[in-house]
Amino acid sequence: MSGRMEWVLLAYRLPRRPSTPRITLWRKLRRLGVVQVLDGLVALPADAATREQLEWLAEEVGEAGGQGEVWLARMASAAQERALAARMAAAVTAEYEQVIAAATAAASQPEGARRRTVSRLRRDLHQIGRRDFFPPAGKDTARIAVEDLAATLPAPATPRPAAGPAQTVSTTDAPERQEAQP
Amino acid sequence: MRWATRAGVHVDRAACAWLIRRCLDPDPRFVFVDDPDDVPADATAFDMRGVELSHHGGDCSFETILRRYDLDDPVLWDIARIVHEADLADDRYHAPEAVGLDVLCRGLSMTADDQGVLAVTGPLFDGLYEHRRRALLVGRNPA
Repeated sequence: MSGRMEWVLLAYRLPRRPSTPRITLWRKLRRLGVVQVLDGLVALPADAATREQLEWLAEEVGEAGGQGEVWLARMASAAQERALAARMAAAVTAEYEQVIAAATAAASQPEGARRRTVSRLRRDLHQIGRRDFFPPAGKDTARIAVEDLAATLPAPATPRPAAGPAQTVSTTDAPERQEAQP
Repeated sequence: MRWATRAGVHVDRAACAWLIRRCLDPDPRFVFVDDPDDVPADATAFDMRGVELSHHGGDCSFETILRRYDLDDPVLWDIARIVHEADLADDRYHAPEAVGLDVLCRGLSMTADDQGVLAVTGPLFDGLYEHRRRALLVGRNPA
């Protein structure tokens, strides 16, 4: 990373009670992959999407009777920035390690359970990927572990019956499709 | 009527613009601004912080417009499920279509300006509406 990047920060204060808005907010922040700078101050690398997400959460904080402000910021030193990025990478590394462990453990499952595990882990990888701003080495290892598990499954039978493509136009579709005819 | 929203249109704003034209205003003019302070006085703002037609209580702006204007068409609510997940990805709904819609809109915003994005996403949402309408009728994804 050459030069320093822009960060988007959410500074928020929420009443202690009721606790539900705090928990909801924290869940959403976790899903976005924020790094906590201080109590009530979280950060993400700034882009159009992260900035927008934090702005909506600031709005939710306001609706819950709190106060939320969104800041754009640059860190004063490259070393601090590397440290922050390393904390974020460590957090997603832990998540990738869980995926790897689950994929390894599933190898001995019966076929149906293995198939469900593969779908779940692919979904998990997609979710983690959304908050993986500084991809660690574990990312590829996790992806390969899931695809290796998928490779142990026999190819799924096609769910559709043997009807040819020409027969798939149902009667309800017919009127709209006639414009192509002479 | 004039309608204002944030520049750099993504899926929720594109969906709202389509919904406005379809259900609220057959001849809308859309203005794109960088700051809420730049919204023209005669324009109705949507999908911006601090305005009525925006995110509220965990809803995205598309859902807010459906609620505020009492639009109870189940097909529109089915589209709302997809738009919500494409915009917020908070797993409130099961919407496997959302990932694709999000990618398509992000890609479009890289090659077209805001008016250009709406020119393409309009017909895209027309098609999505028809697809979801038939899906609700037959109870499965139509071919």
